[in-house]
Amino acid sequence: MAKILYIDHEKCTGCRLCELVCAVSHDGISNPARSRIRVLKWEAEGIYIPMTCQQCQDAPCLNVCPVKAISQDEELGRVSVDYDTCIGCRSCVSVCPFGAMNFNTTDRRVLKCDVCDGDPQCVRFCEVKAVEFIEADEVAIRKSRKAAQRVSAAGKQAAALEAQL
Amino acid sequence: MATETKGQSTAESLRKKRTYGKFRCHNPSCMERIQPGKGEKTAKCPTCGMEYRVHWVNPTLPRIRGPVWDVNRKLADAKLKEKGVL
Amino acid sequence: MALNRKIAYIDLTTGDVQTESIPLAVRKKFIGGRGLDAYLLYNHTKKGCDPLGPDNALIISGGILTATCASATARTHIMAKSPLTGMLGSANMGGFFAPELAWAGFHHLVIKGKAKNPSYIYIHNGEIEIRDARNIWGQSVTDAQWAIRQELGDEEVKSCVIGPAGENLVRFANVMTGVKNAAGRTGMGCVMGSKNLKAVSVRGTMDIEIARPMEALEYNKRFIDQITSAKVSQTQGTLGTPFIWGATNSWGGVRTRNFQYNQCEYSDDIEPERIDEICEETMGPYHMTGCFGCQVHCRAQYKIPEGPFAGKYEEGPEYTSLGAFGAETDTPRALTVLVGNHLVNQFGMDNLEVGSLISWAMELYELGIITDKQTDGLDLSWGNDDAVIEMIERIAYRKGWLGDVLADGGIPASKKIGKKSFDYLVQVKGMSNLHSDERATPALALNVATASRGSDHLRSRPAIDLYHLPEEVLRKIYSNPVAYDGPLSSEHTEYIGKPWQVFWQENLYMGVDCLGICKYHTVFLGVTLPSFEEWSKVLLYNTGIEMTPEEIWDAARRCNMLERLFNLREGLKRNDLEKGDMLNHRYFDEPCRRGAVDVVGTMIDKKKFIKMVDELYEHQGLDKNGVPTPETLESLGLKNEPSHLL
Repeated sequence: MAKILYIDHEKCTGCRLCELVCAVSHDGISNPARSRIRVLKWEAEGIYIPMTCQQCQDAPCLNVCPVKAISQDEELGRVSVDYDTCIGCRSCVSVCPFGAMNFNTTDRRVLKCDVCDGDPQCVRFCEVKAVEFIEADEVAIRKSRKAAQRVSAAGKQAAALEAQL
Repeated sequence: MATETKGQSTAESLRKKRTYGKFRCHNPSCMERIQPGKGEKTAKCPTCGMEYRVHWVNPTLPRIRGPVWDVNRKLADAKLKEKGVL
Repeated sequence: MALNRKIAYIDLTTGDVQTESIPLAVRKKFIGGRGLDAYLLYNHTKKGCDPLGPDNALIISGGILTATCASATARTHIMAKSPLTGMLGSANMGGFFAPELAWAGFHHLVIKGKAKNPSYIYIHNGEIEIRDARNIWGQSVTDAQWAIRQELGDEEVKSCVIGPAGENLVRFANVMTGVKNAAGRTGMGCVMGSKNLKAVSVRGTMDIEIARPMEALEYNKRFIDQITSAKVSQTQGTLGTPFIWGATNSWGGVRTRNFQYNQCEYSDDIEPERIDEICEETMGPYHMTGCFGCQVHCRAQYKIPEGPFAGKYEEGPEYTSLGAFGAETDTPRALTVLVGNHLVNQFGMDNLEVGSLISWAMELYELGIITDKQTDGLDLSWGNDDAVIEMIERIAYRKGWLGDVLADGGIPASKKIGKKSFDYLVQVKGMSNLHSDERATPALALNVATASRGSDHLRSRPAIDLYHLPEEVLRKIYSNPVAYDGPLSSEHTEYIGKPWQVFWQENLYMGVDCLGICKYHTVFLGVTLPSFEEWSKVLLYNTGIEMTPEEIWDAARRCNMLERLFNLREGLKRNDLEKGDMLNHRYFDEPCRRGAVDVVGTMIDKKKFIKMVDELYEHQGLDKNGVPTPETLESLGLKNEPSHLL
């Protein structure tokens, strides 16, 4: 089973190192506009949310592409663009519900996360592990464990309150 | 004078000598290594007698949170008297 | 390329803008960031210029490595002649401004003149525009930034702004970016205010090509591992900079009640661990945030838990706020520190200077040198939390007699207050000491006395002197890249070899400021962090410039000497209490009363201190008066300054 990028935005410190290493490892250039991952910020509240391609199973970008330049790569679990076929119409950019299909105005071509062919640099450099590369089914297990912890904590709290009464 | 050995910088080679689970006494002329018991909340320096409250950054990384205030005040007052400072 | 980033000269009086490339030869001499700022300042201001006049040059910059693939190149440096000290004004901050400036095409902005109306500068991908700021004038630091984003319709715009304190020409107003990143010291915000400049806003999406991208990336990984594996970085990433305050207070190195004590006792409520708890209670378990590209993430986030400001989001408090609004004023209460920190950030003032001056006023109040008449009835007794909070606002808005007087800075205030007030003012070169007490540590005392921007710990502090490393380890660190075979002592109470440590640190910190990297990523608090050797490689992989560690060291010496030349030109005299490399008498005649047993009773020996200054001057290539010898200037290539290469 292929791995996916799992983002836990609560852990993100907002440093944007992922953007930097993404651009440098792909293009040899420092420029967040070239990054396939982006940290969206609400600075007035201290909230940072990294966003990148979800590698959708039924990908709108793939479906909308008029020249079939976008395909599913089962092995790496990613949706990839064939630049030899791509005509740069940007239909995929407008249709992506996550804004994860980007367009670079310098090179004039679309760009999206390719999970670095299986060794994502954003994951490698993120010390706080806000971005991880894990098996797709592991995500659900982690989320349930977290939710269960909340339930358990709430339960204890409720018990404590009851005891006080 | 670059001091690089076997591809390691000075800083990197120094890092090898690190100790875990201990901290040094905050009395700067003492600096004795103190090893608090696992999870202990206070620790006393075996050499100079200063007493500290312990905080655990993580289970292997203890640090001094601050002195045990009453002991600290007593030791300081005694020292002031000894040195004849008002 | 990082090297094709330009300098922009902006004249606010005429609206004229010119841009210029930075020749490689100039880069090799002054590198960038603070070093090149010093060169520009020396060349673009005239002797005796009015710090608040149109002729003062306000220089805003990033380092040579800013926004390249090197770790934590987030630092923005700001320079001008200081309205607080009348000498070198220089301040440095993290955040996201400098990288954005580099992506917009610039490394240095030299701003002169004075705008007719409140204005802000907007820089977007190489284009510079001066815009009307009348509707944001008067707004707080954060409100102004969000308003600019809204006006420009771009959430990614990064701004350097001043708050009400800068507009009101408070002499120690700072320049800020984001919620709390502050170029705090020497009143750079006051200079901006004097130019009617509310903000400099940037947005950039221009490529910075990395000279050897794969090597830069791999080396960055190693560099980051070196930093994050240090215990000090781990602690810092958990508790933020307050951890330093905690440790320092524990042994007795925190200025308390102005300078009466050296430890804030029973201060459990503002200990780093307590602050951490409050942050967790209000923000959740992951409450640390970082500057651009930094893996140390030393900045805490919190919401004010109760009181009239309950629920306000803020960042910090850094260790200076703990000292400024906790120890110095003897108000060790979390709420006072958290609110005080929030207010100075909103008003845009240097927390350190504010806390120092309030505690000085409190001591004068205790002594009867100032009374209820001067305070307009405000009870400035030690430990009065409400009075501390009230004074912060009075200073920012120059309210009341005392608020207005203190807003002019310590020395001018001491002249207005008179009596013996100056004797109690703990300052060097007109800038207040931070809340650390250096009476037990001669090396650190030498550092604050001789720092180029006035009393300061970020110019040359050999903080690791307190670690009592074995002498051979200490020698190894301090012999890189230039061999040192003079005497050296691991003992922090000693005066031996300390001048070399201060000299080495001075060059190290200049180096890191030229590169644009944070000081927490070098030998400041951790001995195993990167220094000259690592920088040489980072510089090569990212920019293609080949500079040996020795060459970086020489460039740092050159830049430090330029700062010295500037200060000498503006009136520095060695033993002058107002403009010299000299400490307040209290260092020499009031012993420490608290702290660890071996700290109690210590103070600085004046004769030995003077000898240390002599020795430091020798290392720096200065004569007994602190003036560079002709040979020194010749060897550093500074004999014809100002040389107007830029």
